[in-house]
Amino acid sequence: MDLAQLTADLDGLRDRATGQAAAAPDTAALDQLEVEVLGKKGELTAILRGIGGLPAEDRPKVGAVANQVRAAVEAALGEARSRVGGAELEARLRAEAVDVTTPGRPIRRGSLHPIVETAREIADVFAQFGFVVYEGPEIEDDRTNFQMLNIPPDHPARDLWDTLYLDVDQRLLRTHTSPGQIRVMHQERPPIRALLPGRCFRYEAVDASHASEFFQVEGLMVDEGTSMADLKGLLDQFAHAMFGEGRATRFRPGYYPFTEPSVAFDILCVICDGAKCPACSRTGWMTILGAGMVHPVVLRYGGIDPERYQGFAFGMGVERIANLRHAVGDLRLYMEDDLRFLGAFR
Amino acid sequence: MRVPLSWLSEFVDVELTPEQLAERLTLLGMEVKTIERWGADWEHVITGELLTVEKHPRADRLSLTTVTLGDGQPPLEIVCGATNIAPGQRVPVALPGAVLPGNRRIERAEKMGVVSNGMLCSGAELNLTADGDGILILPADTPLNVPLADLYGDVVLDVDVKPNRGDALSILGLAREVAAATGQRVRQPDVRVEEGSGPATAERLAIDVRDPGLCTGFAARWVSGVTVGPSPDRVQMRLLAAGQRPISNVVDASNYVMLELGKPIHTYDGSTIAKAGDGRPTIIVRRAEAGERLETLDHVVRELTPDTLVIADPSGAIGVAGVMGGATTEVSDGTTDVAIESAIFDPVSIRRTAQRLALRSEASSRFEKGQEPRLARLGADRTAQLIRDWAGGTIAPGALDTSPEPAPPARVAFRPWRINRLLGTDLTAAEQESLLHRVEVATEPTAAGERVTVALQPEPLDVQAGDGALTAIVPTWRRDIAIEADVAEEIARVRGYELVPSMTPDTAMPEFRASPLEVRELVRDTLAGAGLTEVVTTALVSPKHVETFVLRREVPSVPGDEPPGGEAIGVTNPLSRDHALLRRNLFGSLLDVVGTNLRHGTDDVAVFEIGKGYARTADEPREWWRLGFALVGAAEPAAWNRPARPFDLDDAKGILELLAARLGLPAPAYTAEGAEPLFHPGRTARADVDDRLHAIVGELHPSIADAWELRAGTRVLVAEVALAGLSGGRLPAEQAPVVGRYPEVERDLAIVVPEATRAADVADVVRAHAGALLRDLRLFDIYRGVPLAGDEKSLAWRLRFGSSARTLTEGEVEAAVGAVVDALGVIGGRRRA
Repeated sequence: MDLAQLTADLDGLRDRATGQAAAAPDTAALDQLEVEVLGKKGELTAILRGIGGLPAEDRPKVGAVANQVRAAVEAALGEARSRVGGAELEARLRAEAVDVTTPGRPIRRGSLHPIVETAREIADVFAQFGFVVYEGPEIEDDRTNFQMLNIPPDHPARDLWDTLYLDVDQRLLRTHTSPGQIRVMHQERPPIRALLPGRCFRYEAVDASHASEFFQVEGLMVDEGTSMADLKGLLDQFAHAMFGEGRATRFRPGYYPFTEPSVAFDILCVICDGAKCPACSRTGWMTILGAGMVHPVVLRYGGIDPERYQGFAFGMGVERIANLRHAVGDLRLYMEDDLRFLGAFR
Repeated sequence: MRVPLSWLSEFVDVELTPEQLAERLTLLGMEVKTIERWGADWEHVITGELLTVEKHPRADRLSLTTVTLGDGQPPLEIVCGATNIAPGQRVPVALPGAVLPGNRRIERAEKMGVVSNGMLCSGAELNLTADGDGILILPADTPLNVPLADLYGDVVLDVDVKPNRGDALSILGLAREVAAATGQRVRQPDVRVEEGSGPATAERLAIDVRDPGLCTGFAARWVSGVTVGPSPDRVQMRLLAAGQRPISNVVDASNYVMLELGKPIHTYDGSTIAKAGDGRPTIIVRRAEAGERLETLDHVVRELTPDTLVIADPSGAIGVAGVMGGATTEVSDGTTDVAIESAIFDPVSIRRTAQRLALRSEASSRFEKGQEPRLARLGADRTAQLIRDWAGGTIAPGALDTSPEPAPPARVAFRPWRINRLLGTDLTAAEQESLLHRVEVATEPTAAGERVTVALQPEPLDVQAGDGALTAIVPTWRRDIAIEADVAEEIARVRGYELVPSMTPDTAMPEFRASPLEVRELVRDTLAGAGLTEVVTTALVSPKHVETFVLRREVPSVPGDEPPGGEAIGVTNPLSRDHALLRRNLFGSLLDVVGTNLRHGTDDVAVFEIGKGYARTADEPREWWRLGFALVGAAEPAAWNRPARPFDLDDAKGILELLAARLGLPAPAYTAEGAEPLFHPGRTARADVDDRLHAIVGELHPSIADAWELRAGTRVLVAEVALAGLSGGRLPAEQAPVVGRYPEVERDLAIVVPEATRAADVADVVRAHAGALLRDLRLFDIYRGVPLAGDEKSLAWRLRFGSSARTLTEGEVEAAVGAVVDALGVIGGRRRA
């Protein structure tokens, strides 16, 4: 073996290997080529085995050529790898494609009951004005539910509350959240800003607009100068919060034994905006709650001096507010608990 | 209260449209519920004159008439069945195309061979009078060819009169309100009485009021020689429009006065009142005797009690005072002498009696709101005159009247500055006075020594009037103005609430108070986020519910809430059997929701409710908060990319564990519950976290599912949970854990135990022996089968060890695991090789 022959073999190997790399179709062919040419038992090693027959002074020359060949082949392999790798990745991604328009894997969705949720929204609005939540019992006595609210026994106003009586010691199911006023006054000194949500009961045949169990939210504010103007301002803000900025409101006289003066609070009909439609009995207005200045008798039963302090109270049916906000026309839907109905709420 | 505007305008001029009037009244506190066009259903009914009335050629009971509608129009042939018609009469004619009340259509029609071009109408057919037998004969000066609605149409306002304004349950009372709203003046009612000659009333009748506490005034009149018959058409029309059915001229007179003046009146056939020893028919007002009976006008025999006030004669009760008259003294067709009762009764007594007898009437509802004393005499006089006008006869001279001297009008002192403080207004004293004058409340400076009444209950509270105070002199009919705040209401409503300013409260704020809803809101949000739907069900349930859904051992309440259990509380006047008792737990309600939804075709139901249980111990009622949930159907509903996975007990327990974690509680400890009849004995657990969470969770017993008619084979998971904070209270702030800087070490340990050994018992042993370095223990697999024995299972646990101070050595961990393995013998377990 002489130097020229060896050099020629190496050049031939380089030319063939770089040619094959450039033509290789895929990574596997390149891997095989690499092993065949550059591997421990590869062709380059085989050629260099003949170096032992050369004179000592020629050996470094062959070594230099061999390194150049190795570098050239590696470069060609690298170049070929990045060429076929891109195509292979593309092919893989193509193969992995799915129909992205199919629906996802369903996750069970729950929802919150519109009445409980509406009560929470009401409380949130009044919380901004410093009203804190209290709760009273649903089983009440005549004294707290009626007498201390200035409704003596045999008072004709009792007709406003058809009552369900219990077989326990003169107890009844509270007909409104108003007895909570008395309980709060027994618990706190003015300034009082209290909100009382809860379940109420009446002897009332159930139809689209009457329920024997329903939810109310009561409000009570008492301080030295709390006036009807404060009540009006607060309720205006409430109406705007629940029924939209700019929703027109009006106060008109009402009657409750536990407030004096008493008012009904109306908003412009949410259906016809005052054009007078069947939903508002052609008046253009819808009553959303009753209110008034706490009757001095009620303050006294609450242990508060009515000469020094005054205040207002209001009470609303949560179902009424929910009906108007969510376009519900039948009260019965709330307690029928048909998931097709409830599922429509957040 | 139905108010025909034609009637109202007898007492006050009304220049507004009905809509404007309705709005003014509403803003004054007399809410107008509806505005009804009386006569709106008389389309194509016009006035005509009968030209000829002849026998129908083929039907004896029919007449063939010709009717002219006026100049130049061809007469119409109309067949008629009535017998009260004659040529020259003016009558209402319904032309073809007319639609009468009750949606009755009138068309040209052949009747026994003769074409009838319309119909002559009776008063009843037009809902104008009560007479359905004869044609309504109109006055002779009625113009022809005029729509009947132009002549007899009216507008009727239905006014919601509040219980404190009994004075406004009358045309006169509402006229006063209209006057206040419009600035008009009220015309006083006609009070003339044309007495005849002959024996005086006192010679014909005696009054003996034996209970003056319950009957504070009794006025009576006597009219003799009356002819009972129908009232004049105009009267009938007016009563019908006001919602009162005409009966006879005498009875109509009393009803007319009740509607006009608000004074209930009763009339008796004078000849049926038994005479006393002095020979005079005598009316006695007394309490009923025990066991006394009376047949009332509705021909029901009623048992009376001694707290019932009755009208009696010497032979016994003849009426329930203020509620209903008796049958024996009723005015009938043959009555000639009429005794008129116009009395003032105690409101509470009348209300109780009417409630006890379930006889609420127009009369009793007026009595129970209180009556102005002077109405007694006024009502008797007015009724007597109307009877004379409508039924003829002679009014006996003089009246009987037990009424006391009229009391002076009430004086109510008020401080204008205090009114302004209450209303948030800035009205001068003069402005306040002039507003009061519009409702006939006079004012004058408060007299020396006169005090301001702030409240009347529990005992009167009055204060010094001070400078600038005024006194309102309240008209006798206004029984609702008694304290200063009442005067404020009058001022505010007459002025109009729209003029009260709107301000945002800027006074001192109350102290902080935690919302009792905090934990409930967190639970709701958590469960809704976990896929459950919140429901709200009725607290009142059926006896079947209460009997079926009982726990032998109640889920205990958490500290601070009322304990559960005890006898169910019943409603004494339930609306129906389905709502007769208060529920003691939420199970039945939730199962009803499940059943309803399954029947509606909703297969997967996951619902929860936060509600109360109620029960009693002796005379002490209790109510306590609970969370309940029910799961049925698929936890993971089938989809194109997934098979369905049904709910099972592990889902229900997972919900409890999620809740515990969200509330910052440790995971619940479970124990088996096999003895509750409501539950599957092998698939039910009690779950507890110290005293902060107690629950029962399990599969509903199949026999209950069957009894509740749930779909066959439906497995229902139900739970009831007592939870700290549900009834109020705050959650403590979470305390951050020390996240170790040193790596943790995991070891898996499979433990073979007998089949009957519970996982919780194995976990207890592991925890007890693994030492302080054990941070977490988790069951990750259960294996049964070869090579284990048939009654064995292998529980595979992952133990995580760690220290906040250093990296653990292999030796420490191996020692801990070894200690566990050594201890397994106590539960008959061993390490699986």
